[in-house]
Amino acid sequence: MKKNVIKLMFSGLLLTFLGCSDEFINELPESGFQNVDQFGEIAESNPEILTGFISGVYANMYLTGTGGTGGHDDFGHKAYDLFADFITSDVALSVSTYGWYRASITELQCTEDFTFTDNYQVWRHYYRIIRSANLLIATLGGDEADPDNDSNRGTLGQALAMRAHSYWYLTQYMANDYDPAAEILPLYRTASPIGVGKSTTAEIFELIESDLNRAIVLLEDFNRSNKSQVNKEVAQGILAYVIASTRDVSRMPEVVALCNSVIANSGASVMTAAEVTAGFNTVTSPGWIWGFDIQNETGLRLISWWGQMDAFSYSYAWAGDAKSIDQNLYDAIPANDARKAQFFTGTGYYNLMPLFKFYDSSRIIGGPSGNVVSDYVYMRIAEMHILKAEAMAKMGQDGPARTALAQVLSQRLPDTSYLNGLSGTALLDEIHLQTRIEFWGEGKTYFSIKRNQRSTGARGSNHLSLVGQTIAHDEERFTFEIPDLEIQSNVLINTQN
Amino acid sequence: MKLKLTWLLTLFMAFVMQFSFAQEKTVTGTVTTADDGLPLPGASVIVKNTSRGQQTDFDGKYSIQVNQGDVLVISYVGMQSTEVTVGASNTYDVALTFDNTLDEVVVVGYGTTTKKAFAGTATVVKAEDIETKNFSNVSQSLAGEAAGVTVINTSGQPGTTSTVRIRGFGSINGNRAPLYVIDGVPFSGSLNSINPADIKSTTILKDATATAIYGSRGANGVVLITTKGGSSSESYVELDLRTGINSQLIPRYDVISSPEESIGFVWEGLLGRGRATGVADPVAFANANLFTDSAVPVGYNMWNVADGGELIDPLTRSVRSGVTRRYTPQRYQDVAFNAAFRTEANLRMGGGNADSRYFVSFGFLDDKGYALNTGYKRYTTRINVNSNVKEWLTLGANLGYAYSQSQNNGQTVGSENVFEFADKMQPFFPVYLRDDNYQLVADPIFGGNQLDYGSASVGAGSPNPTITTRARPNANLLNPIGTALFDDVGTDRHELNGSFSGKVKITDKLAFETTFGAQYSNSITKSVSNPFYGTGRNDEGNINQNNTERLTTNFLQLLRYRNDFGDHSLEALVAHEGNKFESNFVSTFKTKVVNPEIDELNQYILQPQPTGGGRSARTLESYFGQINYDFNDTYYLTVSGRRDGSSKFARDKYETFYSIGAAWIISNENFMSDSFINFLKLKASYGTTGDEAGVAFYTGVDSFTIGAPDPDGGFVFTDNPAANPILTWETAVQYQAGIEFSLGTWLDGSVDYFIKDTENLFFTRQNPPSTGVATLTINEGVLRNNGLEFDFTGHIINKGDFKLDLSVNGALIDNEIQEMYISPQTGEQTVLDTRNSPYGYSVGSSIFDFYIREWAGVDPADGAPMWYEYYDDQNANGVLDTGEELNVGLTDYLATTTNDPNIQRTITKTYANATEKYVGKSSIPDVSGAFRLSAKYKNWNLSTQFTYQIGGYALDNQYGELMSDRFGAAGNNYHSDIRARWQQPGDITNVPALTDNAIVNGTSLSTRFLTKTDFLALNNILIGYTVPSKFLDKTGLDLINLYVSGDNLMLTSAREGFNPRTSESGATGRRLYAPLSTFTLGLKLKF
Repeated sequence: MKKNVIKLMFSGLLLTFLGCSDEFINELPESGFQNVDQFGEIAESNPEILTGFISGVYANMYLTGTGGTGGHDDFGHKAYDLFADFITSDVALSVSTYGWYRASITELQCTEDFTFTDNYQVWRHYYRIIRSANLLIATLGGDEADPDNDSNRGTLGQALAMRAHSYWYLTQYMANDYDPAAEILPLYRTASPIGVGKSTTAEIFELIESDLNRAIVLLEDFNRSNKSQVNKEVAQGILAYVIASTRDVSRMPEVVALCNSVIANSGASVMTAAEVTAGFNTVTSPGWIWGFDIQNETGLRLISWWGQMDAFSYSYAWAGDAKSIDQNLYDAIPANDARKAQFFTGTGYYNLMPLFKFYDSSRIIGGPSGNVVSDYVYMRIAEMHILKAEAMAKMGQDGPARTALAQVLSQRLPDTSYLNGLSGTALLDEIHLQTRIEFWGEGKTYFSIKRNQRSTGARGSNHLSLVGQTIAHDEERFTFEIPDLEIQSNVLINTQN
Repeated sequence: MKLKLTWLLTLFMAFVMQFSFAQEKTVTGTVTTADDGLPLPGASVIVKNTSRGQQTDFDGKYSIQVNQGDVLVISYVGMQSTEVTVGASNTYDVALTFDNTLDEVVVVGYGTTTKKAFAGTATVVKAEDIETKNFSNVSQSLAGEAAGVTVINTSGQPGTTSTVRIRGFGSINGNRAPLYVIDGVPFSGSLNSINPADIKSTTILKDATATAIYGSRGANGVVLITTKGGSSSESYVELDLRTGINSQLIPRYDVISSPEESIGFVWEGLLGRGRATGVADPVAFANANLFTDSAVPVGYNMWNVADGGELIDPLTRSVRSGVTRRYTPQRYQDVAFNAAFRTEANLRMGGGNADSRYFVSFGFLDDKGYALNTGYKRYTTRINVNSNVKEWLTLGANLGYAYSQSQNNGQTVGSENVFEFADKMQPFFPVYLRDDNYQLVADPIFGGNQLDYGSASVGAGSPNPTITTRARPNANLLNPIGTALFDDVGTDRHELNGSFSGKVKITDKLAFETTFGAQYSNSITKSVSNPFYGTGRNDEGNINQNNTERLTTNFLQLLRYRNDFGDHSLEALVAHEGNKFESNFVSTFKTKVVNPEIDELNQYILQPQPTGGGRSARTLESYFGQINYDFNDTYYLTVSGRRDGSSKFARDKYETFYSIGAAWIISNENFMSDSFINFLKLKASYGTTGDEAGVAFYTGVDSFTIGAPDPDGGFVFTDNPAANPILTWETAVQYQAGIEFSLGTWLDGSVDYFIKDTENLFFTRQNPPSTGVATLTINEGVLRNNGLEFDFTGHIINKGDFKLDLSVNGALIDNEIQEMYISPQTGEQTVLDTRNSPYGYSVGSSIFDFYIREWAGVDPADGAPMWYEYYDDQNANGVLDTGEELNVGLTDYLATTTNDPNIQRTITKTYANATEKYVGKSSIPDVSGAFRLSAKYKNWNLSTQFTYQIGGYALDNQYGELMSDRFGAAGNNYHSDIRARWQQPGDITNVPALTDNAIVNGTSLSTRFLTKTDFLALNNILIGYTVPSKFLDKTGLDLINLYVSGDNLMLTSAREGFNPRTSESGATGRRLYAPLSTFTLGLKLKF
């Protein structure tokens, strides 16, 4: 009996471990991410937490993989600037060792084949930002909210502007042409996992404009702490592009007014001749009104815009994928133009590469160290001058148009008097050419071709494919396809645009 | 109930009464199995010619009162009875030997049974079949050992753990890997920490009866590993020594190896581009462009010619006769691959007495791969002890420790990889740098000659600024030989795994058992790039270090009841188990090294990225029970149930799993007594099992990633749109029926048929990406795996000294999606999901059915590739008219069209217009399995194992890349099949013209590279000789065994270099470290 008591005690001792607490099967993340409940707890003690969410929306513009692939061409907003630049033919892939961009983009295959993942990348990226913005808008009371708190007004304004910005990029990249009646894109004003059918161009533009107009009001008293944030002027700049892309000449005065407002209030000045060959690598440049200050901690390396474009970064541009200026466009730059010096000329691999436009400040071939610390440019004040010139030329105000254009060109050419000889179509042609030259490699020319219903320049001899061809703004191959994954998983969308 | 108690009490009294007529003395002892020295509970000990006797207890012990001179008869079902005459001693330990294999003890979930009695399907892989193979862990050794078990050998890197699949592919997006259990403890560590030489037996559990007791984690099968123990009958020392050679015996792809032949193809590619793009003089175009940066940079012109025109004869499109070389470049594979040594030594010691047993082992393995600086070195020790501390208390401890060093050089994911270079670098691009006079360049840093890094080797800012720059158009800046030699990638890992068990015998029938198991590992992975050459040069050297610590704890408490009532016997258990897995990591990247000889973080002075670190954990809690009943050793019934909870799920944490299984040994019935069938068992089972391993740790709550700070140093949180709060267990429902039989003495066999439906699938639903949520993991859909498994062993010859056995196993497995997930837009099942292209998922398809475009050959007129375009011929004129295009894949079209479709096909030369469709082929083979021939003649033994597979298809993507001119004329080397390319109008061939990719998409995804995965492989062969014991008498040795063995010696597949056993689908991928072939000479001593 005594022995049995011992046995039972022994068993009982071991059994005490049996009583696991309810906590045993509850685990929460303790690594690089946090769930909503965990945020709620810490936000009470640290209000700075809340600002992290709008920063998270912007982060999609520079993080890698936002297009939903692991590709080295998937690095946020600038990835699509580069896609667009290749499609306009102004950026030439002149040596291809690693194959990035080669078939899909530079041979314009993806734009005709909806199974190519590059289509998915564009779509996924901008709709990802739309969802992020929608989540934030919802927490601030929805897109018609009118917060009292200054900080919340600023945040709501930024979120609305980011949503509009993404929708506008989608209208440009996904619709062959501007047709108000055409059904082009699914429209989400709130975050939802359930797909919807296409809305018309007019409906999409209505939302874009109302978002931006609302943002401009909400951002009235917002003082941004760095240039990655959208302030009132950036929102106005986006709206100027949006209205210009409707091609409605009667609305061109609105474009002019917006450009004027940005020019007057942004505090920015057109980059000087010296600045345009200084590397385009710092957001502190007085000519930049929107951009991202990349730092060591950002952790960008090879997979980045610099990792594709800059031979002075640890990059494909150095390793064997040469991106150069189209030979014909280069030839069109006058010899005495400061921008001609942005490009290297010589025989071999580096010919016509932008070795003096975009470069890491160290200027060591292949980069001084792995991390990219050169910055991203999203918008420059020069865009507003040239867009204003374009709008005025369309309004028939050639004189003021020439003046606006000269605001930029006077910093590029010793003499801009030739402009006085230009009017009408010739002036518009010149404005488009100057857009191509001034913003080469900055993702702007694509939109100019679309809103001005132009064609690309004939591909120069330094392209690997389609040499000599021009591509019209409304050609199927000039615009991305709705990706097959959308068509398959969204029963309400069965057709391409 | 009361009646039963009374009856039990009566039985008990009867025993007491019997004992009260006590005799002269009490004899005690332990009954064990001779095989392994383990105690044998339930054996009967009877005084001969009396009815007095008893059964041994849980520990195989008996205690009986006898007179001196009495004879004890010790017996157990299926074992040879032994008689012992009682003399002066009071202790008689007896070891029983098995009658035949049917009565071998089989380790199953939370207990043991015999092969005969088990109602489920458990395949025991014998230690000797594992020991003959030369692998660092048990996973590879399982290849071919059991029907329905597929082993995928993903890499030849020594120390790789293979992927194991049991009974098909149990999930779509969830886990398909089995659960491993080591000495009764679910295992989350590295299988490499278990030295195969320490393994006594490996049991593979397949059906629900076998696996349901592991409820939560049994859905994809269970592999039970039992390590060796001591022996109460003898003390022994065993020493195994092996030495051998690792090499690559299975050929790689047959690529072009002659620089002259290769440059001819490059030239022809340029010619083709000239023609395709309408250049006036294509020959002049090719001549002018051959030695340029877009084809072959001038610096790589290895011939004594000035240009393409001097090199190539345009008529033959090959190098003119009389052209001489400036130098002969070395080939990457010649430098990168060399046979290497493998050395292994294992020392095992065991012993003990009736109350305590011990086993101690030490192992050493040095396994070097054939690729430069790859290898795996490991030291293992194990101590297993087991003791009956008290008559009612047994304690055991199994403790293993392993320290390993893995070196994985030259295998960067990307272009910088020795295997990529070996296959894809043209033979005219040299391994070593040449200067402008075509001479080798001395390496002032590492000695020898400098390697060729393309443009990074030469020109401004390089180590050789005076040599003219050249951008190698294939993987410029990289040289994996340099990476393998001067950089270092490796992992040092300490791993401990232990189980500590106690058993309290509360009564003769009831015992309490508890096991605490823990697996701990600490690994440090370093990737170091040298500061002089290659990718680390710009950083002046860099190091990436990851420290990972993992701990799994598992605590089991179990009550076991066991009793016999006449012909009825019953065993029942109830238990609770808690399991916790935790992992911590810290990772750091630093640059600019002081002393590159020292791979430590403090030698690096810059830190471009912040250090990262974190912890994640998962817990499981389970309650379960089982009842095993048998009547007359003929009718068996097993019922089990288990309730599991997992921390991975937010709301529905718990699920219940259960099974029921029955077996009937027909051969025990009277009507079978005269049959030539000596043994025949029918069995059937039904049950459910679950899985939670297939989803991430925190699935249920919306979360945000903490990003790098914004420019003001502020917080950045990006949303992770992945949460699904209602996600819960994936469940497999499995039915099985099977037979096991023995015909005479010449054939043993078993056949099982099973249906396994995985429900509540972890399905990654493709969401409309426009919602911003691209995918969501949900529990929807049903996947069925059903199949037939057979396993036969024929004892062909068994005469005196000569024994010859042939065993064959195989599995015929079908896989079908029976239900797709529901589209939230329509509430109906989704028609098609191609997110896992080239496979399409839809109702009725398998998860490996190809949904791709169909290749239609090459146009004889211009050498362009062609595909099939399907269209809806509404006007039935046999021609594709405008408006009749499908614009989407065929399955999508048929699901959405409102037409009465009249689908026809035509040929297109525009890839985008070709139609994606199910092409009627699948990666899943019709049958796969193995056969083994084993022979014994006198002291010689021979064993050979072949594996085979018939009836599947896979995409041979690597062959596709070798047939591609995708990356420019000199972008990659070619397979020798490129010789069959189209060259001039009228050529009938399946290989398009070379055009430097001016004519595109020839190698884009289509049926072109769909290849049969049929194969026959010689997996293992062993010839051994055991020195006859008569020679050993005076040596003090009990055994000397010598053998030679070989692994992975031969493969016949559709194409040299195509090894369908290296991925689950059979598809080939880049940078494969092809599995090693190993020859070993071994010596086994026992004393």
